[in-house]
Amino acid sequence: MAEYFMVVLLDDHRMAKIRGTGLEEHIKYMFGGELRLLEVKVTEELKDRILQEFETARVDSRGAITDLPVAFMRELFNQVVEKRSLGPEVVEAVLEKIDQIKEAAKKESEYLPPPELEEEE
Amino acid sequence: MSRFLIERPLPHGGRLVERVITDKDAAKKMIKGCPSYDIKPTLHFETGVPVRNVYREIMSICYGFFSPVEGSMKQAEVERILKERRLLNEWIFPYPLVFDISEEDYKKLGVGPGDRLVLNLKGKPFAILDIEEVWRIDNPEELAHLTFGTPERNPEVVKQPFDKKHPGWVIYRSLQPVVLAGKYTIINEPKFREPFDRFWFPPRKSREEFDRRGWRTVINHQTRNVPHVGHEFLMKCAAFTGDVEPCHGILVNAVIGVKRRGDYPDEAIVEGHEAVNKGGYIKPQRHMPSIVLWDMRYGNPLESLLHGIIRQNMGCTHHMFGRDHAAVGEYYDKWATQILWTKGIPSYGFPAPPTDVPYGLNIRPQNMREFAYCPTCKEMAYSETCGHKREKLSGSFLRGMVAEGVQPPTIIMRPEVYRVIVKWWKKFGYPFCNENYVINKEKELEVDLEDL
Ligand SMILES: [Zn+2]
Repeated sequence: MAEYFMVVLLDDHRMAKIRGTGLEEHIKYMFGGELRLLEVKVTEELKDRILQEFETARVDSRGAITDLPVAFMRELFNQVVEKRSLGPEVVEAVLEKIDQIKEAAKKESEYLPPPELEEEE
Repeated sequence: MSRFLIERPLPHGGRLVERVITDKDAAKKMIKGCPSYDIKPTLHFETGVPVRNVYREIMSICYGFFSPVEGSMKQAEVERILKERRLLNEWIFPYPLVFDISEEDYKKLGVGPGDRLVLNLKGKPFAILDIEEVWRIDNPEELAHLTFGTPERNPEVVKQPFDKKHPGWVIYRSLQPVVLAGKYTIINEPKFREPFDRFWFPPRKSREEFDRRGWRTVINHQTRNVPHVGHEFLMKCAAFTGDVEPCHGILVNAVIGVKRRGDYPDEAIVEGHEAVNKGGYIKPQRHMPSIVLWDMRYGNPLESLLHGIIRQNMGCTHHMFGRDHAAVGEYYDKWATQILWTKGIPSYGFPAPPTDVPYGLNIRPQNMREFAYCPTCKEMAYSETCGHKREKLSGSFLRGMVAEGVQPPTIIMRPEVYRVIVKWWKKFGYPFCNENYVINKEKELEVDLEDL
C-alpha cells in the first residue's frame, strides 16, 4: 500500500514551539540542511477524505499531499504540537475542525497576510 | 575569425515588421472621418470571464515580435496555417490571429473591404485596421480543435482531445463570428506602466541593446514564473552552449497577458527575474529581462514555434526548451516541444524541425532537462549528469511554502527574489493571482494611452 504524508515546514518561530516536545529527533533536513520539516503520516482513507473535501488538494509523485488551504496547514502544525505526534491522529484532529478551516479558506482566496521581512541593510 | 562563430539571425521573414506611426499629426490625418470601434476583450464562451485581449496581438504584430505577420489574417491564410502552419507568403507560423467582432457590432459598423477602422483602447484611439476582407468563423469549436490538434490527426504528440479545461482552446472557442482581416498600424503608442516600462524591448530595440552590450550570441529563457534557483541554473548552464565561447547574453522574455488564478502576478515575475541579476547570481551585464504581450495559448510545440519566432525577431541565436514547454494539463506529450525541434512533427507540417524546412527559423534550440539540489554533490545538479538521488522541487511545494509565509531557503529561492514576491504580495494582498487580480488586470491592462 502506498504511503502518504503531509509536510510541516519549520521556520524559527515554529522550531521554538516544538522544542521539548520530543519531536526534534524526527526533524528532516533538505537542501543542505537549509530546510527543516516534519512529515505527518496520512492513511489511504484520510488521503481520500482530504482529496474529497478540498478540491485544490493534490498528491505529488512522492506521495505528499499538497495544495491545501493555508488554514489547514496552520492547524496541522497546531495539532502536531498539541498531540506531540506525527501519526494519523494528527490529521484526524485537523479534520474535526473542517468547518472552521473551510470558512477561513474562503477568505484566503481574497487575502493572505504578507510576512514581515527584516529591513534591507 | 573562426568559422564556428554564430551570427545573429535575420528576423523571421527577412525583415522586421514595424507598423507604428509616431507622428501624431500624421496619425490624426490618417484617421480623419474613419469609423471607430472600442476593442473588447474576448469573453469565455460559457463563463463570460475575459480570456484574451486582441490589443496584445496588435502590439506584438506592429512592433515586429510576430514578423512577418502584419495584421488580422484572411480566411485562406488561417486555413493554410491550420493545414501546414504556414502563412500565405510561405513563412512558418503556428496560430491563426484574427480581429473578430460580433454580427451585431458588424452591422452597426457597416464597414467592408477597403475601409479603414480606428480601434480605440481604453477610450483613446490606438490603432487602425485597413480592412481587406471580411469572413466568418462558422464553427469556433472546430477552429479550436484544428488550431491545437487532435489525437487522431496528430498522434505523434497529442495525447488527449482538447476541451474547455484548456485555456488556449477556450480562446479560439470563444471567438466572435465576424473576422475583419487586414493590416494593423498603431497610431498612438501606448505607455507601459511601472514596472513593465523598463522591460519593453521590441525587436528593433532589443537588437540595438544587444549591439550596445556587444552580445553576439544570446540564449532566450521563456518564462511565466517567478524564478527559483532551478530556473537560475537552467539559464546559466544552458548559456554555456554558444559558439566558441558561452553565450554572451541571457534574454529572459516573460509572456505578459491574461492570467490564471494561482499564477504569480506579472509584476512579481518581471521584477523577480531582475532580482536575479541585481543580486549578482547572473550579473546584469550578461542577463536581460524583457516582456512580450501575448495571451498564452498553451500549445506546447506550437507555442514553442511562436516563441522561436519572437526570440529570433528579438535577435537571439539560441532558445532553451524544457519539459512541458508552455503546457497545461496532459494534452501533449511532455517532450512534444523537444520532439518538434529535434526531428519535427509531420502531422503539423514539419517533416523536419522548424529550423530545417524551407522558410523556417534560424534560431538554435537548446533542449534542457532539469536541475535539482543533490545532497551528495552538495550543489544544484543536472538530472542527466548527477547520478545521485536529488531533492526535487515541485512548483506546488514552493507555492505552498510561500503561501504559509515561510521564507524559502536560499538554495531554493534567492532572498532578493522572495522580497519581490512579498513586495507585490503587500500591494495586492495576495502572493498569487486571485480573482480580483485577474479581473482588474483585464480592466486596466498593462498600458495607458494619451489623447491623440
Ligand atoms: Zn549528485
